[in-house]
Amino acid sequence: MVKIYVVDNGGQWTHREWRTLKYLDVDTKIVPNTTSFKELAEEKINGLVLSGGAPRIGLKSELGNCAEYLEKAGFPIMGICAGHQFMARHYGGEAKPSKVPEFGKVELRLLKEGDSLFEGVPKKSIVWESHNDEVTLIPKDFEQLAKSEDCEIQAMRHKKKPVYGLQFHPEVEHTEYGAQIFKNFVKICEK
Amino acid sequence: MFDAENFIEETVEKIKEEVPGRTLIAFSGGVDSTVCTALVNKAIGDQLIAVNVDTGYMRKNEPETIKKLMDEMKLNYRFIDASDKYYKALKGVKDPEKKRKIIGELFIRLFEKVADDEKIEYLVQGTIAPDWIESGGGLRDTIKSHHNVGGLPENMNLKLVEPLRDLYKDEVRKVARILKLSVSEKQPFPGPGLAIRILGEATPKRTEIVREACDIVEKEIEIAAEKENMELPWQYFAVLIPTKSVGVHGDKRAYGSVVAVRAVQSIDAMTCSFSKIPVNVIDRISNRITNTLGDEINRVVYDVTNKPPGTVEWE
Repeated sequence: MVKIYVVDNGGQWTHREWRTLKYLDVDTKIVPNTTSFKELAEEKINGLVLSGGAPRIGLKSELGNCAEYLEKAGFPIMGICAGHQFMARHYGGEAKPSKVPEFGKVELRLLKEGDSLFEGVPKKSIVWESHNDEVTLIPKDFEQLAKSEDCEIQAMRHKKKPVYGLQFHPEVEHTEYGAQIFKNFVKICEK
Repeated sequence: MFDAENFIEETVEKIKEEVPGRTLIAFSGGVDSTVCTALVNKAIGDQLIAVNVDTGYMRKNEPETIKKLMDEMKLNYRFIDASDKYYKALKGVKDPEKKRKIIGELFIRLFEKVADDEKIEYLVQGTIAPDWIESGGGLRDTIKSHHNVGGLPENMNLKLVEPLRDLYKDEVRKVARILKLSVSEKQPFPGPGLAIRILGEATPKRTEIVREACDIVEKEIEIAAEKENMELPWQYFAVLIPTKSVGVHGDKRAYGSVVAVRAVQSIDAMTCSFSKIPVNVIDRISNRITNTLGDEINRVVYDVTNKPPGTVEWE
């Protein structure tokens, strides 16, 4: 059984991430973001989800030990919302308050076909959002995978390793292909 | 997927360990607390006393319906009419968080009284995931203090047992269906009741208004859903907005409050989209509310906000 933990950054939907993984028969657990990397490594996890949360990454807030996970992990990581913004900042990009924050229903447009995280997701689909900040400069080791009308960097991935950032929320029911994206992430972690 | 049968089995075992003796259960007659009661009943049988509180902020005929349900379920129960206590405690209170906290604390004080009389230490609550998630704590922001989590007083003597903490409403309903509970499809109703459907002070008079408006919305939507004019929303009700607007009644100026109609589709309450109620149904609702409550209400609006950015209830 593949083991993927959810790092709790204080999101409203952290527990939904846990539920989505559980429904995919993943061995999963919610851990506080103060957990050390050593503790995570000892659990022999195959992947990690960095949840969203109330901290304002665009206003320079920190996100517990997320930096340490990103530095040391040899396993796939998927950052969501604040987790995604923090990831961008960590790798040398930037996150700032959104000119037009997005809440609720948004149309997501994929820019690149064939990435394994978006397998089975059509070029345009409905996703659910809830963010005040966003990634304004993508790190140079990353490529952009998706955008929306009001937010350029809706999804990105590291060019060399399976490290993903998503501004939208694949864990909620109203995101059309959310469960599919999680399924794909689980597959990536199984490799 | 969620395996409801497995959940029932595991939870009954867990309750047996967690609750060594007699216990109270906070019973509202909604799907969460009814499922909890059925599970505790399976685990420890007649060691259970269900307590139902009439806060005065219940929907039309609700206290009678709940008493009937408790009889049907053959529960050993205490029914407490605490309307006057609640109206008094909420007098002059306008802030939604204050309302929720006062209501939450009063629930506990009433339960403690029964617990003292019966020499009971445990309280079972039907808390589900959105209750503690939205109540916040630690890193998580407080969206609203649910009466059974964020509304609990700091000093309470009862030991809490919450068997449904990791479940969402859709999962609780699955459990309810397996347990063959009549309330399995009942729409959610918040613990603080109509008090949080009245913006501003929840006076007895305003409560009567919103109670009537909620009843109209519920009935009209249920009739429409039955005739297959529309899908039954996940939750549907009225909100009283005590802001006044000008109208005209029989050639005379009217100056009354506003009622908002709210209906949403959801699976788990964590994200919702507003329901697309057919215009003819909205039309009937609007007419009935303004005609029935003419002295007070001369304007009806329709809430078209998703969650996020809105929440289901207005407070």
